[in-house]
Amino acid sequence: MGLKKSTDKTDEPQDSVSFEALVELLNHGSMAEKRLAARDLADHPNGRSELILALQNETDVAVLEAILDSLQQHFDAQLANDLLDYLRSENVFVRNEVIGILQNYPDFVGPHILALLNDVDSDVRIFAVDILQLLAHPDTPQWLLSVIKDEQHINVVAAAVDRLAEVGTPEMIPELQALTERFPNQPYLSFAVKTAIHRIAEAS
Amino acid sequence: MKRVLVVDDAVTVRLYHCDLLKTAGFDVCEAENGVEALEHAMQQPFDLMLVDVNMPKMDGYRLMCEVRRQEALRGIPIVMISTEQEEQDRQQAYAKGANYYLVKPAEPELLVNIALVMTGGSQ
Repeated sequence: MGLKKSTDKTDEPQDSVSFEALVELLNHGSMAEKRLAARDLADHPNGRSELILALQNETDVAVLEAILDSLQQHFDAQLANDLLDYLRSENVFVRNEVIGILQNYPDFVGPHILALLNDVDSDVRIFAVDILQLLAHPDTPQWLLSVIKDEQHINVVAAAVDRLAEVGTPEMIPELQALTERFPNQPYLSFAVKTAIHRIAEAS
Repeated sequence: MKRVLVVDDAVTVRLYHCDLLKTAGFDVCEAENGVEALEHAMQQPFDLMLVDVNMPKMDGYRLMCEVRRQEALRGIPIVMISTEQEEQDRQQAYAKGANYYLVKPAEPELLVNIALVMTGGSQ
């Protein structure tokens, strides 16, 4: 049930709460009010920007879930763009949820992948690789290959190797093998490369 | 034999940590996210949890919060492990109840030594 103005005349139809009131409730209401406001703002023409803003400060997981559910009801390129900013969020829940959402929209996220993989922040580059884990995009293997060829940060490379173990093909094996020379004395990476090669060979 | 629950969504990382800990004499169980980890922890006792921060379904911090909330589980030592290496990441982990914070990729010896210390000594 959506939020309604309270009225003493219960037999009269209730008006929907105004946009301003919904925004107020979203930002300052009780947890239940925030969740309902988030839901009701989904269909409001100006609701998206308020929902996006609320992601910055809200900490309650149930409210955040409601906000993200509402946002997804009208997914488009602009929303993809707005959500990408939240890969830099300090809130781990928001970040992980955003990654999960973006994975469902390859057409809107695909154009941003190269920029994300070249971001100055290695954490963002890792999250970009995380998006690729389940992004059904034909370029995913090539993007991952570019990471293992050019990336300098071991954790970004390791994340890409882990993903390539699932989507890589036998012709990528030499590039994987080259990693152990590029990153000598890195036991985890050696293990990851061996595992990936084994899994690719098994799957082919 | 001490039991360790290794929680990470990355298959390779999970395999690697399990392999290291098994070689060091631990009995190891694995989970790919916080939800699965919580189910394991409710069903069997663990002496240590090695928990990744960034995971789908339930991230490491939410898992830690749930573990610390439940009387039967709250005493389990938790080592958080993440690619995030800023001091604020470390502080956040400790503030939320972690017993130790490791940055990936962890040195094998360090990981095993931390596991030994957290579980009360040699296997």
